[in-house]
Amino acid sequence: MADEPSWFERWVDELLNNDRFQRLAAKILVPYWAWRTAVKPQPGGPHFSMQPGDNVMRMMNLVMPLKDKSPVGRAKAALAIAQNKDEIYAGLDNVGTVHFARFVIVADNICMFSVYDGDFTNYIRDFIATIGSVFDAVVGLVEGGDAVIPSERNIEAFIDWVHAHDLYQVPDLATDLLRDQEAVNGAQPCTAGNDLRLLPRALILQLHVNSNVSLGSGYRAYPGYSVAQVRQQLGIGW
Amino acid sequence: MSQSSEAKQLVDAVISDFPDHAAGTRPVHTIGVGVKGTFVASDVARNYCIAKHFQGEPVTATVRFSNGSGSPVQHDGWSDVRGMATRFHLGDQEATDLIAMTLGEFFSADVAAFLAFTKAAQPGPVERQSPWQKIWDMLQLKPPLPGPMPGQSNDLGAAGMLKYANRHAAAQLAVFQAGMIGAPVSYARASYHAVHSFVVIDAFGVRRHVRFSWQPVAGVRTTDPAIPPRDDYLRQELEQRLERWPARFMLMMTIGEAGDAFDDPTRPWPDKRIRVVMGTLTLQRLAPDQTADCEQLSFNPCRLTAGIEVSNDPILRARRDAYEVSRQMRGGSGCPFSGGSANGR
Repeated sequence: MADEPSWFERWVDELLNNDRFQRLAAKILVPYWAWRTAVKPQPGGPHFSMQPGDNVMRMMNLVMPLKDKSPVGRAKAALAIAQNKDEIYAGLDNVGTVHFARFVIVADNICMFSVYDGDFTNYIRDFIATIGSVFDAVVGLVEGGDAVIPSERNIEAFIDWVHAHDLYQVPDLATDLLRDQEAVNGAQPCTAGNDLRLLPRALILQLHVNSNVSLGSGYRAYPGYSVAQVRQQLGIGW
Repeated sequence: MSQSSEAKQLVDAVISDFPDHAAGTRPVHTIGVGVKGTFVASDVARNYCIAKHFQGEPVTATVRFSNGSGSPVQHDGWSDVRGMATRFHLGDQEATDLIAMTLGEFFSADVAAFLAFTKAAQPGPVERQSPWQKIWDMLQLKPPLPGPMPGQSNDLGAAGMLKYANRHAAAQLAVFQAGMIGAPVSYARASYHAVHSFVVIDAFGVRRHVRFSWQPVAGVRTTDPAIPPRDDYLRQELEQRLERWPARFMLMMTIGEAGDAFDDPTRPWPDKRIRVVMGTLTLQRLAPDQTADCEQLSFNPCRLTAGIEVSNDPILRARRDAYEVSRQMRGGSGCPFSGGSANGR
């Protein structure tokens, strides 16, 4: 039978919820372990998969820091979207693989969140062809954006730039984070396992180098269907 | 190794993980409660499967909810996997079972790995980490190990399971999830997963690999881990709940795609797979005769009916005979496999 914990044990048990200890962890322990066990940021976007279900309803979560981090800068970004609403909607209809797309301003970032079917590279390529000018108007307001506009003349660089701003999608299965870590380090998949208790640290250190992530690949009310299938089944298009 | 000796070995291995296991009881999921209800298939279920219970007519069902442990001592409030074994009564003495648990994946992909896992999961002494060890863990950004539950007399195999998972990547997900699974506030407020894949056959003969899950209409909720656990509440809670209102579960069927782990229960399929609402189970009352309608019942994951077949999952296939051996050991009611029926093969 287990004995009652002593006052010292109880105090230690409370440490995890202690503000001072949490500040210590954030300021000292996280940077220390990030230095000791360097973690590379995981690439953004969905994981590669050949399976049909994995290639429909994919998420793009672009978080792009604005150059002008003032209300005026944020308003300029909002205006760039508002002025191009017709171009955006026509482009989305023409691309034909987008379930939904929206622009959001979060703090000093202009964000584009969308759910699309098919390959990411082709998705961006289609957008450049149909609404490249809108992308240019938005990306021109973003840090580092000048280097890749006009997008029509910098297609590959533009695609890479967008990919770099797409959020890492933390795997739906918790322990697959360890597999992602092996992959980004160029290590062979480790069938022998790792210390499972270090999984939380792996997440903390990934969030240290990658402060914005998508938690999983998202809930779908009707998973596994493309825009084309949904529209055809509902009798509303294409 | 013959099937029956392998099955006996499996049952013995599971029992060995519970030193206080009582002869004549189930090797795991020993404590449970039987419930009576009705299953009604959705309008689309028959498009995917010709099995009788998916044709739309109401089908009576018997459900046994259970705690995962093989110990005869009840600890409802402990963090543990829960079970939901469902028998669909199809008429003319015919029945089919669906056995599910709150864990979404299994610990091993084949029988040899499972035997190794059960050996590793032998319970050891309760060991509370020293405060200094906990501090050292925290300095490594490693959450300290949870302390023992009140009254816990062994470590429930946790240390062995963790060690095993650290050496076998395939077991990691199940061990990780089991470690934080918690206790449900009600048997009617947990999701249950059948874990293995089955093959369902439609009216045109199209065969699909699928996995089944029960989702509670009342929603999923676990107890507050900060509050000391209660040992005996789940049966009473269910009884009181059913006196007020029926409890409902939706049967969800996920359709696998080529490339998915059809035969590996350690790998859940991606959430992006098509999932179909196959029907609703409405639970009305506790079974009036808990001995005949619950404890004596022998469920078997391979007790299937025309329109549903087992996949090549080695664990699923091994469970067929292991459940039969277990039934014989505890004197449970008859099983279709004891007479050599081809059902489930």
